[in-house]
Amino acid sequence: MKTISHTSVITLLFTMLISCTVSQQNRVASSSCVQESAPIDTYSRAAGINKALEKLTRSGVPGVAFAVYSAEGWWETAAGLADLESKLPMQPCHLQYLQSVSKTYMAAAILKLYEEKKLKLDTPITAYLPEKYSRYITGAEQVTVRMLLNHTSGIPEYNYAPAYVSKLLQQPEFPFTAGEYLTYIQGKPLDFAPGSKYSYRNVNYVILTLMADAITGNHAAYISEAIFKPLGLVHTFYRNEPGYLDYPNIPSSYWDRHSNSIVENVSLLQRNNVRNMVGDDGMVSTPKDAVMFLKGLLEGKLLAPETLELMKTWVMGPKGNNEYGLGLDHALIGGYRAWGHSGGGIGAGCQLYYFPDKNVYFFAGINLGTVTDSPLHKEAEAALNALYRAMLD
Amino acid sequence: MQTRFILLAAALLLTISASAQNETPRTYTNFPIIITVQFHALSLPFRNLKSNFKNVGIGIGTEVSHNGQQNWVTQMGVLWYRNRNVGNGFMPHLQTVWRPTLADDVYTEIKAGLGYLISSRPSPSWRQVNGVWQPAGHKGKGMFTVPLGVSLGANTWAGKTQLSPFVTYQFMLVTGYSASIPLVPETLIQTGARVHIDY
Repeated sequence: MKTISHTSVITLLFTMLISCTVSQQNRVASSSCVQESAPIDTYSRAAGINKALEKLTRSGVPGVAFAVYSAEGWWETAAGLADLESKLPMQPCHLQYLQSVSKTYMAAAILKLYEEKKLKLDTPITAYLPEKYSRYITGAEQVTVRMLLNHTSGIPEYNYAPAYVSKLLQQPEFPFTAGEYLTYIQGKPLDFAPGSKYSYRNVNYVILTLMADAITGNHAAYISEAIFKPLGLVHTFYRNEPGYLDYPNIPSSYWDRHSNSIVENVSLLQRNNVRNMVGDDGMVSTPKDAVMFLKGLLEGKLLAPETLELMKTWVMGPKGNNEYGLGLDHALIGGYRAWGHSGGGIGAGCQLYYFPDKNVYFFAGINLGTVTDSPLHKEAEAALNALYRAMLD
Repeated sequence: MQTRFILLAAALLLTISASAQNETPRTYTNFPIIITVQFHALSLPFRNLKSNFKNVGIGIGTEVSHNGQQNWVTQMGVLWYRNRNVGNGFMPHLQTVWRPTLADDVYTEIKAGLGYLISSRPSPSWRQVNGVWQPAGHKGKGMFTVPLGVSLGANTWAGKTQLSPFVTYQFMLVTGYSASIPLVPETLIQTGARVHIDY
């Protein structure tokens, strides 16, 4: 038997280990940004909001950016850090991950197509979804466009699949496509009869995106033309160029991986994850731009009044409460009715809501992951409640 | 790649086995040295096997036989791997092994046991203390694991020393990863050798 020298074996092992010890600096350089207009300094609720945001950043949230529109006009602020490593302060001009708030933009785009008579809301999705995608969906012919928009489709969720979650964590650089997401639900039965109840699913908006691509050729370009440009959203970005998530004024992202109040920089994982998501996620925006979108939408600058009413036709939740419209969440925040959407990801989270009883719009974005539980969230929720009180009471 | 690797390893084992038979009296001694090189991934079993080969590690251990036929043994050891995406790991482990002979000196193993995985974070982390962010290094978490494995190996002899190369596929259920993800699947592809030195 041939003898291999100990030195050779040790050298081989050492080389293999060293080749793999080039640390992945999970860092993406973030930088400060230039505030285009000074926020009004006479906002009567500024002190209370600033105090609540300081409380939020002392609860273990690295940084928060905030914008509000009320009877007093626009006001923006930020607290905490955009990057813990460089102690870079968060600014209102930093781009925030919209996460699932992107669904409201996608829904508005679908409803624009509806107004252009390019699709019907109560037609089965198989009329618009290419067969190469619909074949992954059990019972696709029973599901309508409206059911996707208001999460009553019953189609199983792709990101509940352990195979997807483990692949995302182990191979964050893997370029998932919308079609690949659907492979995770291939052959799975519908979770419930389509239209019979509400259950929030990201996959519904992935499918809407594929339909929009089939109708328009490029859903992202369509959103830019039909949503961003009419509202003047020059600080909102979605697949406008391949490197749109590498803009330096995107804050670093942090995640409490093990739910033990220790956060790690997951900026690369966050950016790669968001980069691959379509329709259900994928946008970044300044807080003010996000509020400008919701304000423009609800003030009828994008859709006809009757279409907007469709958007605000709520499906009921399990307790008989208004739950969700067409891309709009109906929530109770701080004791007040709120319409808008929230978003959560591995390394960020946000809220964009309008309070119809107060005529107040706000956006708050944080650079701490909210998609998995953390003890940090409990104190953060208390700080958010203080924010709602400062903003509304 | 993974299929070729496994076939190559199996062919190597059979070749070694065939060329090394009947050389010297065969003795089994307890407490051999078990050395492994392994490849780790956070993955469901037999999925994304390529990703394993980016994350290499080493291990050392030993075993005790429960009978004279060495087909029921308890193995114990420690292993370490580098995984740049989900964090490095260090794991002491204990496994009971059933080791039936397939043909002559070729054997297989089915093993199950318990481990304690100390998994570090892939990037530097932070902890807030009294409102001030302080570095927490790569500090991770210790988690109990249930490693389940299958192996293919061969017994060879060099003088009085028994050398048994093997390949193993292990699936580990890692418990308590986070509040939202209580169970995480991980895999190890291992190759190594069990060396019984007859002093």
